[in-house]
Amino acid sequence: MRTNRQIEIRRCRPMLGTFVEVAGSGTNAASLERGIHAAFAAVEKVNRLMSFHDPDSDVSRMNRDAFPKSIIVHPWTWKVLETAQYFARESHGVFDIAVARLLASRGYLPRREYQPNNAATWRDIFLRKNCRVFFRRQLVIDLGGIAKGFAVDRAVAALKASGVKTGIVNAGGDLRVFGSISRIVHVRHPAKPTFAAGAVRLAERAMATSGVYFARRRHLGQYVSPLLDGCTGRSARELISVSVAAAECMVADALTKIVFALREQAAGLLGQYRADALILERNAAPSWRFNSSCDTPEWTQFD
Amino acid sequence: MKSELAFIALPISALVAPSTFAVQYLTVDQAQHAVFPGKSFTAAPVKLVPAQRKAIEQASGVRVLRDDQKVWRVSGGGWFIVDEVVGKHEFITYAVGLNANGSVKQIEVMDYRETYGGEIRNESWRAQFVGKTSQSPLKLDRDIKNISGATLSCRHITDGVKRLLAFYEVALKRS
Repeated sequence: MRTNRQIEIRRCRPMLGTFVEVAGSGTNAASLERGIHAAFAAVEKVNRLMSFHDPDSDVSRMNRDAFPKSIIVHPWTWKVLETAQYFARESHGVFDIAVARLLASRGYLPRREYQPNNAATWRDIFLRKNCRVFFRRQLVIDLGGIAKGFAVDRAVAALKASGVKTGIVNAGGDLRVFGSISRIVHVRHPAKPTFAAGAVRLAERAMATSGVYFARRRHLGQYVSPLLDGCTGRSARELISVSVAAAECMVADALTKIVFALREQAAGLLGQYRADALILERNAAPSWRFNSSCDTPEWTQFD
Repeated sequence: MKSELAFIALPISALVAPSTFAVQYLTVDQAQHAVFPGKSFTAAPVKLVPAQRKAIEQASGVRVLRDDQKVWRVSGGGWFIVDEVVGKHEFITYAVGLNANGSVKQIEVMDYRETYGGEIRNESWRAQFVGKTSQSPLKLDRDIKNISGATLSCRHITDGVKRLLAFYEVALKRS
């Protein structure tokens, strides 16, 4: 039905182990529905390709077979790997998709029959032409730190391709706003996740937040979380959160992990991507803020 | 983005903002047509007897908290079920469409609500919150629409769907 009135359609599905919300605004309900359908299909496709749990995903195929012989993956998977490897190089291994063996040993990923080499890192992953991937040693990768952001970017692309001009996609807190309508986005309180610590207004920008509040648990008498420093293998345990705003959600998603570990030292990389960062301490007070451009969203702190 | 959005920190005193995050995505009627476009629906609610409850719990490994299940029969085959799950932080109503052979066709979240901080239950406190926000430069809504933050897992829905598939085997398959 076409009207002149601006309507918004908003849908939510359990996907990627979290809740994925897609909203589009326009004047034609049927066309919005089609766009939202295409957006969820794109997220589902990313899930099918990059799930650690699905034995037929590219990720599982690589973990099984990319050592000792190279295998071919989908171009989307290749693109995520390429970005992950770039961030690994730039962060000197702080961002490392090969930390999955540590995640499995701490109970965040199912243990598989894989027998990874304990010394293997991102440096043992080789990306060749025509979407070929080769592992130099047996290793286990997990794209959990970046694939959600990529899924958001694909969903936004699918909405745009279906003619949806403005909307938002939010995959469990990693989100991207596009089109002429800006959105107010609240950021969870780092220690009290059912409270908001503050808010920003976003337009044509993605934002991702990492914190340990829902994921922290005890392991061998210590708190652990799925946020790992790839260099030290240590889990983030502090109840702080890191938010990063960037043009692409995949970039914002990956950068939150790097800022978590490197804080101020991540400034160069943030600048490269014209990204902004905000670290909230346990009491929700900002302890570090990085503004790379005039696009920096205004942060409103609640107290 | 426009220049007025240049970075400034704006502390708003006396404004604690519990995440009153609550969204209704779909009514029952809308969910039915989102999952099974163009079909008609006949209500076929089920009341479980204790033996059925037990059978579902054994098959799914998930506790059954309610005896009554909201079910609709779909024209041309298939089932539409509305269910609820409660987690530590969330209360969710969702719909599951089952194909005629009992496989999952689609899952849609209908209502999503996160538990509030204690203060928000107090209506006068709420009113104060609304008043304060009208002065805020962001013109904050009473309800939070978008949240950036670490992932809340959808494990409870995954368990709920497991329970509903066992429910199908026990209560719907042969009906």
